[in-house]
Amino acid sequence: MNIIEVKNLVKNFGGVYAVNDLSLKIPRGKVVGIIGPNGSGKSTFVNLLSGMVEINSGMVIFDDAEKLKKIKPYEIQDLSITRTFQEVRLFEQMTVIDNLLVVLTSRSVFGSFFEVHKKYHLEEAEKMLQRVGLEAKKNQLAKNLSYGQRKLLEIARALLMKTEIYLFDEPFAGLFYAMIKTVSGIIKDLRKEGKTVILIEHNMDLIRELSDYVFVMDEGSLLAEGEPNSVLKKKSVIEAYLGK
Amino acid sequence: MFSIYAILGVSLNLVVGYTGLVSVTQAAFYGIGAYATALIAKTAGFGFFSSMLIGAIVAGLIGLLIGLVLSKFRDDYYVIVTVGFNIIAYGIFMNWHSLTRGPLGIVAVPRPKIDLFGLHLDFNNNLLFLALVLVFLALIYFLARFIAKSSFGRVLKAIREDEKAIQVFGYNAFYFKLAIFVISAGMAAVAGSFFASYLRFTSPNTFVLMESILILSMIILGGLANLKGSLLGAFILVLLPELMRFVGFPNEIAAEMRQIVYGVILVLLMIFRPSGIMGEYKL
Amino acid sequence: MNIVPQLILNSIIAGSIIAFLAVSFNLIYGATRFFNMAHGTVAIFGGYIAFFFFKTLGWNMYLSAILGILAAGLLGYIFDRIIYLPLRKRKASGMIMLVASIGVFTALQSLIQIFFTSEFQTLSDISVHDRLYTIFGATITQTQIYILIMAFIVAICLIIFLKYTIFGKAVKAISDDEEVAKIVGINTNKIIGLLFFIGSGIAAIGGIAVGFDTGLNPTMGMKLLLHGISAAIIGGVGSVYGAFIGAFVLTFVANFSIFWIPGEWQEAVAFVLLIIFLIFRPRGIIKR
Repeated sequence: MNIIEVKNLVKNFGGVYAVNDLSLKIPRGKVVGIIGPNGSGKSTFVNLLSGMVEINSGMVIFDDAEKLKKIKPYEIQDLSITRTFQEVRLFEQMTVIDNLLVVLTSRSVFGSFFEVHKKYHLEEAEKMLQRVGLEAKKNQLAKNLSYGQRKLLEIARALLMKTEIYLFDEPFAGLFYAMIKTVSGIIKDLRKEGKTVILIEHNMDLIRELSDYVFVMDEGSLLAEGEPNSVLKKKSVIEAYLGK
Repeated sequence: MFSIYAILGVSLNLVVGYTGLVSVTQAAFYGIGAYATALIAKTAGFGFFSSMLIGAIVAGLIGLLIGLVLSKFRDDYYVIVTVGFNIIAYGIFMNWHSLTRGPLGIVAVPRPKIDLFGLHLDFNNNLLFLALVLVFLALIYFLARFIAKSSFGRVLKAIREDEKAIQVFGYNAFYFKLAIFVISAGMAAVAGSFFASYLRFTSPNTFVLMESILILSMIILGGLANLKGSLLGAFILVLLPELMRFVGFPNEIAAEMRQIVYGVILVLLMIFRPSGIMGEYKL
Repeated sequence: MNIVPQLILNSIIAGSIIAFLAVSFNLIYGATRFFNMAHGTVAIFGGYIAFFFFKTLGWNMYLSAILGILAAGLLGYIFDRIIYLPLRKRKASGMIMLVASIGVFTALQSLIQIFFTSEFQTLSDISVHDRLYTIFGATITQTQIYILIMAFIVAICLIIFLKYTIFGKAVKAISDDEEVAKIVGINTNKIIGLLFFIGSGIAAIGGIAVGFDTGLNPTMGMKLLLHGISAAIIGGVGSVYGAFIGAFVLTFVANFSIFWIPGEWQEAVAFVLLIIFLIFRPRGIIKR
């Protein structure tokens, strides 16, 4: 059962083919790692999936059903996708709790005027803060958090979306050991719940530990795929990393 | 006058401070409200309140149109286009003689009258008029506060912070931005209605670009994203000329001096305190 | 129709004037990436200074013009030094700079209003001595010829300057990427300061030209600027060539539209056109 299938995806930035004829199938309910040297198109791929960047050609098939050639960012919620960002995009001048509340409230203009589930939202948000260990920072402005705390907040925000698919773009970058444990725990929990996680990471140990399946990208297309241990031993993969 | 400016300030803060859209069109809506009220009250013979309502609706509709066009732009271009709209509106006020009597303006705009439940109030009395305006100011202030504190307000702030990011979480920012712009336009029109009634006439010269800039300065000074700040800003705006007269500046240059002070304040604010006195948000 | 040659001529002249503003605006925008809303008012400030020396003090016309240009250049430079530079140092957002420039615009325009009154002031008292020439059935005054010549000279100088001097190359580097330019060792702040000086000076030529042609009035600064920005946008923001082309397109369209639209509506219509243009072709005519 493939939850996402990508066919001949192309993204061209003024002559630079960030994603070049990429085709792959992402199985449902697994943690899928996406690795590759810098500039191989991993982030662009995730940006394409989440509608941040326009698809030039090719298509994305969701759940063997919806075939899409254009994805708008606000549509991905309906596709049950959510994501975090490599560069951490929080709502800086809003409080931590507001950053979470804003993804819980009504999406319609009229609905958000007369929000009826206020208490419920607040409870959900506070529970999440406890889960990631940020309750103490509840009323702090997001921009005042430490780097690691910001990454955690981003993940908390994504978790509250309660979608089926999670796109994490380098969630472990720059984190200390304790936080790495927290985030790994979260990903493992997601897997237990049967969710699908697409994980971009450079840390090979984490990839080995967490992912069920790995795709290796290089220069915009798929270089190799398979179980983490076998893929990481492949000559072509090692060359891609070293030879660049 | 303070109350009128306060209403204007609050309406603009919703758009600029909360949603992060720097708009220089407010005077246009202010003017639409004023003209609409004046025209309707005179020609159609409706009472003040009905005219005001119609004026607000007209402004809202035009705001919808303008908001639609504006949604295609971001940042710098957005500002330029809002400037453009202000100038277009001024052009219409000035040149559509058949509707607005051009530079002559519309005179003899009536004051409101209430004839309800045996209560007979004629607002030709200035004090009574002031009370009425204050009532509306309170209404609008609390409406704005309700909006700001609601989930809608929170979404607006998120749009301001990172519009693309909030879209990923399922929000179609376009509708939200449009909605607040229309609301803001309606509020400004209410201010315009009172203005027309207060002075008993309207002329295009009040609704120039500089006026929009003044309103913008007022809310930046008072504090972006802080409604009380807008009240403060309005207070200072109205007080300043009086202060300067007190200090002894000759009357003829009072208006220009006020503008100079505003210009300088704006620059200083940008350099030292972009969020304003009570503000919560830096541009 | 008899009026066509005159319209063409008027368009060329108006186009040259706006070109001064559009080009200088683009010059500064290219390097600093912010819309300087005070630019137009600085331009007419130059015009007013020239006016002051020429009419009020009775000095020589050419000298007054040069003084006007220098004064405007200096003013632009000062503004950069005390306002925009500190903001850039703090990595202030484009919005903050734009709002700051709105503040500068407001203060400067009002200052001019105080010192020079809101009435129209013309520089062209020399209309008495102004010779009229006829070309192809259109009349042109001597001053207007000067304006055209100036525009031509400035255009050529600028193009040569930007393309062939080290300064020009540095400017291009900064426009492409300010950070990298700094790393490479270019003193970006000094060059940007110089750009402000030059840009404001060129704009002032436009301001003085307007003073001779139609007359000065404090609110004209913003009007000229908006025309300049429209021209810059039509031609392609950030491109010097584009600004030239944009300026002429704008004035030709504006002048020829007299056939359909009464004079007072032109401002408004110009903006409607600009907005339509922005919606459908934001990159301008020249492909960057």
